[in-house]
This record gives sequence, C-alpha cells and structure tokens, in this order.
Amino acid sequence: MQRLVTSTSRLRSAKDEFSRCRRRWFSPMPEQAASASKNEEPSFPTLPRFEYSPPRYTGPTTEEIIRKRKEFLSPSMFCFYTKPVNIVHGKMQYLFDENGRRYLDGFGGIATVSCGHGHPDVVRAIVNQTSKIQHSTILYLNHVIADFAEALASKMPGDLKVVFFTNSGTEANELAMMIARLYTGCQDVISLRNAYHGNAAGTMGATAMCNWKFNVVQSGVHHTQNPDPYRGAFGSDGEKYAKDVEDIIQYGTSGHAAGFIFEAIQGVGGIVELAPSYLTSVYSTIKKAGGLVIADEVQCGFARTGSNFWGFQNHDIVPDIVTMAKGIGNGIPLGAVVTTPEVAKVLTRRNYFNTFGGNPVSTAAGLAVLKVIEREKLQENAHVVGSYLKERLSSLQDKHEIIGDVRGRGLILGVELVADRKLKTPANAEVLEVMDNMKDLGVLIGKGGFYGNVFRITPPLCFTKQDADFLVDAMDYSLSKL
Amino acid sequence: MAVQRNISNTKTLNYFLNSKWVSNLSSHRRFSSAQPPELPPFDYQPVPYKGPLADQVFEKRKKYLGPSLFHYYQNPLNIVEGKMQYLFDENGRRYLDAFAGIVTVSCGHCHPEILRAIEEQNKLLQHATTIYLHHAITDFAEGLAAKMPGNLKVVYFVNSGTEANELAMLMARLYSGNLGMIALRNAYHGGSAGTIGLTALNTWKYPIPQGEIHHVVNPNPYRGVFGSDASLYAQDVQDHIDHGTSGRVAGFISETIQGVGGAVELAPGYLKLVYEMVRKAGGVCIADEVQTGFGRTGSHYWGFQTQDVIPDIVTMAKGIGNGLPLGAVVTTPEIAQVMAQKIQFNTFGGNPVCSAGGLAVLKVLDKENRQKHCADVGSHLIGRLKNLQQKFDIIGDVRGRGLMVGIELVTDRKDKTPAKAETAVLFEKLREVGVLVGKGGLHGNVFRIKPPMCFNKDDADFLVDALDYSMSKL
Repeated sequence: MQRLVTSTSRLRSAKDEFSRCRRRWFSPMPEQAASASKNEEPSFPTLPRFEYSPPRYTGPTTEEIIRKRKEFLSPSMFCFYTKPVNIVHGKMQYLFDENGRRYLDGFGGIATVSCGHGHPDVVRAIVNQTSKIQHSTILYLNHVIADFAEALASKMPGDLKVVFFTNSGTEANELAMMIARLYTGCQDVISLRNAYHGNAAGTMGATAMCNWKFNVVQSGVHHTQNPDPYRGAFGSDGEKYAKDVEDIIQYGTSGHAAGFIFEAIQGVGGIVELAPSYLTSVYSTIKKAGGLVIADEVQCGFARTGSNFWGFQNHDIVPDIVTMAKGIGNGIPLGAVVTTPEVAKVLTRRNYFNTFGGNPVSTAAGLAVLKVIEREKLQENAHVVGSYLKERLSSLQDKHEIIGDVRGRGLILGVELVADRKLKTPANAEVLEVMDNMKDLGVLIGKGGFYGNVFRITPPLCFTKQDADFLVDAMDYSLSKL
Repeated sequence: MAVQRNISNTKTLNYFLNSKWVSNLSSHRRFSSAQPPELPPFDYQPVPYKGPLADQVFEKRKKYLGPSLFHYYQNPLNIVEGKMQYLFDENGRRYLDAFAGIVTVSCGHCHPEILRAIEEQNKLLQHATTIYLHHAITDFAEGLAAKMPGNLKVVYFVNSGTEANELAMLMARLYSGNLGMIALRNAYHGGSAGTIGLTALNTWKYPIPQGEIHHVVNPNPYRGVFGSDASLYAQDVQDHIDHGTSGRVAGFISETIQGVGGAVELAPGYLKLVYEMVRKAGGVCIADEVQTGFGRTGSHYWGFQTQDVIPDIVTMAKGIGNGLPLGAVVTTPEIAQVMAQKIQFNTFGGNPVCSAGGLAVLKVLDKENRQKHCADVGSHLIGRLKNLQQKFDIIGDVRGRGLMVGIELVTDRKDKTPAKAETAVLFEKLREVGVLVGKGGLHGNVFRIKPPMCFNKDDADFLVDALDYSMSKL
C-alpha cells in the first residue's frame, strides 16, 4: 500500500512537471535550451511519452528476491543502487519495475539489447524457431546456422568469412586466443591494460584490471600501456603508446608473438576509446612479429559506434580474427568468432566442438537482429542520436566541474566524474549518488572504469533524441543536487 | 509387405504404421531380422518444409563455418523439426532420436510446457543481467538447490558445460590455494584453455599450455587393467599426489559415466576412495554432471549419487534447459565465499528466459516422473541389448544405466580390438532404418544411446530391432 501511495504521488508530480516542461521539450533548438539553462537551476525532467501499458506484475516481491539471492546465489553477485530495482518487463528502450514504473534503459543490459527489449521481429523469430526445433547440434544439418553465418560474413571486410559460434564473449575470446596460439606456434599474447576479455582461464589472463583477476596462474599474456587519451601518459599520441608493444616483443618474448587482442572502445574499463593512429602502428608491429590481430567487438560491434558497423573500422585496420557476443542476439546467449579460411584451418588438427553453439534458436535470433539493424537503420540512428547525446553531455561538462571527460562514439558513451579536473581524482561517491538519483528520476545507466567513476551509456540502438534529452536533463538535475 | 527403406512419403509410411500388422511389432519375439523394423506409431504430422535443402546447406557450411566443423553421416542429415523423442528431415521422414542432440534434449523436442515457459518469458523480458533483480533466476536457483544433497546450495549460472567446469576449476584452486588438478584419462570436460587441460582424449586436445593437470588411470571396468577393482585404480591417484605434486592438490574432477569417452561407468566404489584421498591432500571434489544429471541414470537424480558420495562442487549443462544455452555450478557457501574476493560476472548467465526454461525442465521431469521412467525403460533396453550381445560376437560390452547406455563393438572379444569400421557402417545403417544414435570412445567404436527421457519401451524395442537387423546385414 505504501509503495502504491509513493508511486501515485510521484506520478502526479511527474504529470505536473510534464505540462510545465512541455514547452521546453518541444523546443526546436536544444543548444538554446542547454545554454539557457547553463546558469539556472534545471527543472524536473520527465520521461518521453510512450504509448504502452505493461502487464500487471504478480510475481515475488523485491524483498523475497533479495533474500533468495543471498541464500542461493553467488556471494560475489552485486547489484546496482542502494535500493536494488526489480526489473520485470522491457519494451524497446524502456524497462518496467514490479510497480509498473517505467525507466529509460540507458545501459541495455550492458550493451546487449541492441534492437530493443522484446523487439517483435526478434521475439517472433525465436518463438517460431523454438516451436520447430530448438536443439539438435551441428552434427546434423540445419539451414539457420548456415544462413546466419553467411549474413555475418557479408558484414565483414577482407577475407573474414569463417564463423565459429559459441555461447558468450568469454568463450569467443578463449577460442580466438587458442586459434592465434595454434596458428603461430607461439604462446605470447599481448593485451591492453584496462581491458576486459572474459573470465575463463585464458581470457582472465588477457583481462587487465585487478578487480577481475583472481589469484590463479594466468600465463602467456603481456599487458601493454593503455592508449588512454584522458589518463594515459602520452595523451592522444597513439604512436608513442605503440612503442610499448614493440618493447614487449623485443624484451619480453622470443621476438615472436601469438597475437594482440583489443577492444576498439574499452567497455568495462570505462568507455575508453583507443588513441588515434595507435592500432595502425601496433598492427604492423604485430605482423612483423608473426602474430595475429584480434578485435574484441563484444561491446562496440553491431552498429553501436554509429560511424561504422564494427569498432575496428573506426581505426582503419582489418584484423585477422573478430570476436563478438552481447548485442549479436539482442540478449540471447550467443557469441561468435570470425576469421579467414587460412587461419580457420588450424582447428582441423583436432576436434573443437561446442554443444549449444550455433543452435537453431540462437542463430535465428541473430539473423533477425541483423535484419532489424539494417531495416530500421539502427547504425545511422546510433550515429545521429549518439552524436547529439555526446554534444549535450559535452555542454553539461561546461556546466559541471565534476565532469572530467565525455567520450566514446555513437551509442557507446562514457562520462567520467572527477573531484579535481587537474589531478583527475576519481569521484566514486558522487557517481553512486548521481546514479541513484537518476534511477529515482527514471533513468538507468551503467558504471565502469578501473576506479568505478565512469558512467557507461550503452542503450538499445532504438534510443531517440527525446530519450537523449531526458537522460541529460536527469543527469543535469542530479548533478545540481549534489 | 516389407516397408522399403526408401519410402520417405509420410502418407504411405503412416498407412503402414496404422495397419494392424504394426500393433504386433512391440513384441520382440515376433521380430524377424530379415526385414527392417517399424518405427513405433506417432500421432503427429510435421510441418511441410520449404527451406533450403541438404546440399545447399552443406555447401554454405563448408564455405562459412570452417573446415574443422564436422558432421555425422556420409550423406549429412538435414534435421528441420523435432517433437518429443522424434526428429524430422526435410522430406518429413521421421527418425527416432536416440542421442538427444548429445544428451541435451532432456524433456523432449519442443515439449509444450518448456515452450510455453520460454515464450511467455520472452514476451516479458529476455535480458537485463543480474545487476538488476529478477525472480526467475532466484526461483530456478532455489529449485536446483532443493535437488542437491548436503550443503550444496549456492548456484552460479553460466552458458555451457565448458564455462561451468572452468569456473569449478577456478573455485578449486582459489579455495585450496593449491594448483594441481586431477582428472581421469578418457574424460571430457570442455574446449576452452583450462578445460582442455582436464579433458583427456587426444583427439580433443590442442597443443596449448594446460597448466598442472594429472591424468590418472581410468577405472574402466571393460578396458581397464584392474577390471572393476576400484581400490587398485584409486591407488594411482595416491601415487600421483605423492610423486607428482607437492603433496597438496587443488581438486579432482570426474564424470560418473564418461560421455564423450564412450559411456564408461566408473568402477563401483571408486569415487568414495578417491574423494577421501583428495580431501586429505587439501583438494575439493568436483562432479561433472553435464551428461549424467537430472535423473537420466534412473536409479538416482545425480550421477555421483550412484557412487554414494557428496561432492564439493557440481557442474551441469546440456539437459538442464532442454537445449537452452545454459550451465550451472552448485557449491557450498563456504567455497562460494572465496569467490567474493573479486568480481566474477557472466553477462548472459541466469537470464530470465533460460532460468524460466530451466525451472520448467525441473518441473516437467518431476511431474512426468522421468527418473523412474529412465530406470524402467533403461533396464528394459539394457536387458534386450544384453540378449543381442549373446547373438552377435561384435558386441564387446553393453554398459551404463537408465537412459545413458553404451554399446562397445570389437572385432575380437578377447583382444577387444575396436571395430571402428564396422561401427561406422552400422551407424549409417541405423540411420537408414530410422534410428539416430551417437558415437564415442577414443577409437570411435562405441554407440552412445542417450535419448530424450520421454523415450519409451516401444522405442527401445525398435532401436534394438534396428540394431539386430543392421548387424545381421554386416
């Protein structure tokens, strides 16, 4: 009853604010609105309109779920927010909690829901295939896996056209690392400090943030200086950072390397976009050492960066292996490794098999996702809305000292909060407070970075300009209340 | 009237199936191995298939899925639809699925209750991750924990058996503070860097560094040098600990009935002895239930229960979701505590749809009494197979329990020379007659019979009759 009262009063106040804000909301010049509000108190932001009522929720309560989580699930499992939110339903770029309250999903289940929650085309593909045949393995033929592999290959440059299906990004990166080691006969893999590539034996080695590395043996990986334009020693000078890779090979290996793995925009590491010219330099260094270049597109792939379909394309190189997961299936457990026919041959020496990988339902969903991205021009949308959002966030940076950096591209954006712009002291406490406030206002975003002080904004790609406005207004409002 | 093998016309097939002649077929005494047996009747018409045909699909696979992708049968089979324990090809021809997509389709293809759970959850919320709350994951974790003995009640959700075993190995090393892992020769535990180390079959091991793993003598009653004497096999484990390690180990992992290795059931009493040795050396005991779990063995819900032990960590996948990409690791709160030192996260793991599907599987298996069913049908099947073993010298061993059965073929019963070529021929013949089985063992000479658990006695009879028929044609 208490909950209902709070929701109703909140709803009423939101309604009042809505009519007051309508004038600003429909204004054609967002820059005007931003500069106008530069020196004044931001007004209470309101969710864009959405013609949809969620079904009534009659399942277990928040308290019950928290209790069961504590009893039956991993103690290292964490939750966002001081008061965890119970998400029971999703529709496109919105999520609903147990009370039917709507939130703007600014995190996309960690850059995973690419087309939108419950996108009808994707759901239809899943339901149709599930009622035909859900699983039989690749020991038998089935056209869905072949059709999807073909479609994925058509999105790739160069000779990248052989696809291996897995169930997650971790599995994909594990396979990629193994392929590189087998192909070259070398064991040394180089990854970037601040990277995240997975949590299995091999990938934990490639992952380079201490919070994610357990105290077990992780051999064969060298971590090179991160070409971080904001925090790195060389600013945006990509080539200077690239020298570190050369040094590692010269001094830390036999002179040959198995490969180099990178994310074009580091996700867990806090939306760090690699300094320009970095990858082209490293590419030639690795090639000279006989190694393969692996692009981890788990977060920045599938049109998310807006300017290109794949993150690596923004850096003008063609890798030897590409790994992907998360957005590939709009949330269905699916991952993939794409490489050239020549490199793919190494796996023929022995058997590599993945029971669930490439099953009809996951691949049907994957194929539906590719079609939706194309038909609904989601890449263009990511570019247009993403640029707009980044622009508004940059304006916000002018207003609030605590915003140290705004970065990223398309709909993979980061906002780093610092207590001191010169020293770049991470403002962790403030990040948590703002995140909580934004949730109360109706916006869910993510958090990341080594210090945990970076907002990660990676919404479903159907995100609109109105959503972007609402998100920035909510952030503005919350920051002003600090 | 003999049913010709090349009849793929469903109408004609149904005509024969519905004729009075068929109703007598379930009695095996009347079966004559002179002609191929009949599939048990099944009241269902597959949807007419309008998609790409086998040749087209095969060409695309070769082009886009890499040269290392292998397949069954000389003439690859294009499976387009499934219903309970049957599969349908592009021509609407029905097959008895005796392999369940590698022991994965536990309740039955497209089981209506599983479908309903998946569809309903898909419409609500497919994915949001565990950084937000959702009841499906906790309900499922609770359901799984309720099936576990001892203090096994903390559940980690992952997406495959490989991921589950990787996590289990990580837990073992962290909890014990030791490095060395012990696994059985002939085991299969996964295809990633860490689990390839545990896997002990050369065809599945790539030449990459695999850390400190000790592979011990396999307590294989049929091929092992000590027959069924568990204590002699267990001694090998002690030897490895004493001479190959610092005296302290991280853990021991095993399947109770090896799957990929050819349905090899561990010698009775083995795990009890080994678990004690490993725990004395500071290690934890991991039971890989990826294939044997969920009542498949008939006598028990979990494979390890057939050896009367309680492990410290249990891993599972395959049948857990009737085909959904899902895996899990269950352990004690004590061991789970060590994982809290750092962040361990799985993006897809425990997503609402897979959790809903998993919970539906638990309920279906209970409601339909599948464990008891596996025991009944399994013993009937094994009984008939043992009779067949009397008839054909090529059957070296019939083993397993419940609906996890293996038939090992040898050209010489004394030397136990693997009958690899004959197995391949019979494998093809069975497909022609309408039975899809699996193949395994290091030498590829073991038939693996692990159907969806709705497989019944008529199906078992058909399978054995098909084997009888095919073997007489060798």
